[in-house]
Amino acid sequence: MILFIVLWVALSPLGWLVTDAMNMTGAPASKVMEEIQQTIQVFTIVSMPLCAFVLAVLLYSLFGWKHVQGDRPKFESPAIRTNRVGVGLWVGATSVLALFLVGWGLVELAQITANAYGTIPSDEQPDDEKPLIVNVTGQQWVWTFEYPEHDRVTSAQLYLPVDRPVYFNVTSKDVIHNFWAVELGVKIDANPGAITQTGVTPNKIGTFNVRCAELCGLHHAYMQTKIRVVDNDDFNSWVREMGGQKTS
Amino acid sequence: MTIAPPRTTRRSSTTSRTSSRTGSADAARANRGGAGLKQDGGGRGGSGAVARVFGNPVPQPPQHGKPGGLLRHLNLGTALLLGSVMALGFGYLANRLTKSGATDATFAPLAPEYIYLAGLFGWTLGFSIGIGAFDGPVRWLLGRELTHADAEYLAGKNLGWQRYFKYTTDHKVVGIQYLVAAMVTLGFGGLLAMLIRTELGVTWAEVFTPSIYNSIIGTHGIAMIIAMIVIVMGPVGNFIVPMMIGARDMAFPRLNALSLWLFVIALVCLISSLFVGGVQDGWSVYQPLAAQSPPGMLGYQMTIIIFAISTGVASVNLIVTILLMRAKGMTWVRTPIFVYGVFGAAIMGLYAFPFYQYSQLLAMSDRILDTSFFVPLQGGSVWLYENLFWLLGHPEVYVILLPSTAIMLELMPVFYRKPLFSFNFAIAGIVGVVALSGLVWAHHMYMTGWAPSANYPFMLSTELISIPVGFLVLVAIGTMWRGTVWTRLPVMAIYALVFNKIIGGITGIYLSDVPVDQYMHGSMFVVAHFHYMLMGAGLFGAMGGIAYFFPKMTGRMLDERAGSIGLWTAFAGFQLTFGSMFVAGLQGQPRRVLQFDDLFNISNWLSTIGAFVIGLGMLIFMGAIISSWIAGKKAPANPWGSKSLEWQTPTPVPLENFEVLPVVTSRPYDYGVPDPYDAKMLADEKAREKQTAKVAV
Repeated sequence: MILFIVLWVALSPLGWLVTDAMNMTGAPASKVMEEIQQTIQVFTIVSMPLCAFVLAVLLYSLFGWKHVQGDRPKFESPAIRTNRVGVGLWVGATSVLALFLVGWGLVELAQITANAYGTIPSDEQPDDEKPLIVNVTGQQWVWTFEYPEHDRVTSAQLYLPVDRPVYFNVTSKDVIHNFWAVELGVKIDANPGAITQTGVTPNKIGTFNVRCAELCGLHHAYMQTKIRVVDNDDFNSWVREMGGQKTS
Repeated sequence: MTIAPPRTTRRSSTTSRTSSRTGSADAARANRGGAGLKQDGGGRGGSGAVARVFGNPVPQPPQHGKPGGLLRHLNLGTALLLGSVMALGFGYLANRLTKSGATDATFAPLAPEYIYLAGLFGWTLGFSIGIGAFDGPVRWLLGRELTHADAEYLAGKNLGWQRYFKYTTDHKVVGIQYLVAAMVTLGFGGLLAMLIRTELGVTWAEVFTPSIYNSIIGTHGIAMIIAMIVIVMGPVGNFIVPMMIGARDMAFPRLNALSLWLFVIALVCLISSLFVGGVQDGWSVYQPLAAQSPPGMLGYQMTIIIFAISTGVASVNLIVTILLMRAKGMTWVRTPIFVYGVFGAAIMGLYAFPFYQYSQLLAMSDRILDTSFFVPLQGGSVWLYENLFWLLGHPEVYVILLPSTAIMLELMPVFYRKPLFSFNFAIAGIVGVVALSGLVWAHHMYMTGWAPSANYPFMLSTELISIPVGFLVLVAIGTMWRGTVWTRLPVMAIYALVFNKIIGGITGIYLSDVPVDQYMHGSMFVVAHFHYMLMGAGLFGAMGGIAYFFPKMTGRMLDERAGSIGLWTAFAGFQLTFGSMFVAGLQGQPRRVLQFDDLFNISNWLSTIGAFVIGLGMLIFMGAIISSWIAGKKAPANPWGSKSLEWQTPTPVPLENFEVLPVVTSRPYDYGVPDPYDAKMLADEKAREKQTAKVAV
């Protein structure tokens, strides 16, 4: 029992360590990423007692209850065939935990989907709030970002205005790639012959990473680029510099 | 478990002498329905020859030539010879028939493809003929029934070491052959893993070119998956299961040999692919990337097509054996849990592998015949491939996990001297896993954009599967509860397995959640997770199982000192390797990369150090196995004091396993003394007045 609590306490900081590891390059940079991290936190907290309990039993079985060595020791243990309370508690607890996690996950999925795609109809929004559309194209082994609303400006780096929803239309020219905007918490396959859609609202200015998360051939490892989330004015001047209009 | 008439044979020693000379294939037949067979033979009865099978006279068909016929001259040597000759011959023909300079749609030269594929076909056909796989069907077509002497020859009676290099039908020989083949595959895959970690540990340079690195990754993946599928089901499933259920052999002894030799054929196909470009697309070989690969891809496809047949044959064999050949009195509640585990795994293998086979057949046809099942430009679908692939991909994980978990549950009662805790929940867990295994595949495809709305039900089914898996953990820790443990090597593997399984299971819940997967998918976190499951739980379980059954299988005791050192070294290295891989994944390192940002350096260095420690540990363990096999202490028949049937046979196990077929009269795992803390016992205690409770613990 004491062992269980000690292990539980010892394991508890794991949740924060996990998010620390995730935040080393500047995450979270969007609401979606925050939600993801919150989910991981919750999952860690919920599963820790179970993990601690099993580890406690393992350790206690080795060092607490008796153990014998040698060739053929003569001993018998108590014949516990079943224990209704124990089984009931375990089945109840694991089922409740599993169902809670499923419920949490389903709600959270609905939420990040809503966050990704925006909930306000776009025609009622002021210009700057209108979602920006970016066509993402993967090909071996580069990413191309096209801004169809800005005279189809194309870029090898992803420039995004901060606090403005952005929609990605993702496709591929050759094989399957996976568009992973790491710190934004966005990930979707780029499939040849199909367009997949996702979206995000970056809420932090900075430089982030795009990596390919699906093996796509020889130079898969090098298929990465940067995301530059800048404020709205900087974004507009960048677009003009690239030869596009402010908005279409 | 008890055997009702233990020594009735003593009385009729002449009968038992005769019976001990009988072949196991025949023995199995006599065991199942001697009466039916007798009638069959009686109808013909022309030859008049009668063999005595376990004391029963069985009329024999006429004997053609010496017992064994053609198979007397066929062995691994002729198989290798004919396989190579036919591979070269077919390849030469393909070379002659291919127009020089012919190219495919992407302007790659076609000749190497055709030559290699023809070579693979030649190898497969030649090896099968050379080992004697077609001998049975041909005999049957010629109307030459097997006589008893033939069957004895086929089962490897009086052949000594030679029987391990032949198309031998004895399930014990097949088990040993599987063990060696699986260990060779594991060693091969492990070597490739070391190369991968070397590349990733050397962060300042490229050790391998990208194409070599990618083919190492792909081959490592598929070699390990194949090895892990057979490492328990092959050796232990074949060697032990028939004995565990009190049978004299598998239901289909010749199919048993076939499944083994097909596995060997597939293995050679896989290794040969390394010489023609390798499998450069991970073990999942997603289309259309796989279409770009060099001809090595054909080797992969051929491997899978053959291996799927091998698995199917083996699964059917195990299922029928378990269903029909259990000893008298072995009702379902008296069947050991390992048999349930193997049964569940065989069912999953049977329905899952055809999907894999189709996916590779279609991919091969895309490659060779220019069809367009998976070619997006011509209307094919990459998502179709992914679905077919993962319809195998997830059940296969449980095909690996169930037997190694069940083997642990099987041996726990022996080392704790306690009945298995809550046998019913163990079965419920296995049934639950098997039932849900087919409904979760698309959690590998959350991020493909294939069907965003389907993510909801798949998340539900995936997370629900943690409940039956939880049952199995419950059974394990319930069996440990208040038990005295006999700390021998096999039982150590249980601790390693449960520890790893808890970590793998919890991280699995993370990954089954779509929002979290949105971050983790395709990252090193996934790699760490499935290594915890497949290697941490699967392989450590298998190591425990092999250590447990080693005395029965080889007749010698395993050197437990070296074995334990190996096991714990590997365990420590394992935690370091994959623990730091979790961190790399969380930091955002994608999997299957060759180079990465400096950010990930530290975790990768640690991981590489850990990997070499694992390698060292595994070498020590392998060394212990090999040295004990050659020169270990002779093992007694039942070194662990187990009560289940397989340990009641003598060691080395005679051809027919049991002189007299056992009858089971009680539930398995009848160990232990009445529990002093049981409610009823406590009440009795009270009733016996206030005698100070000095109950032995």
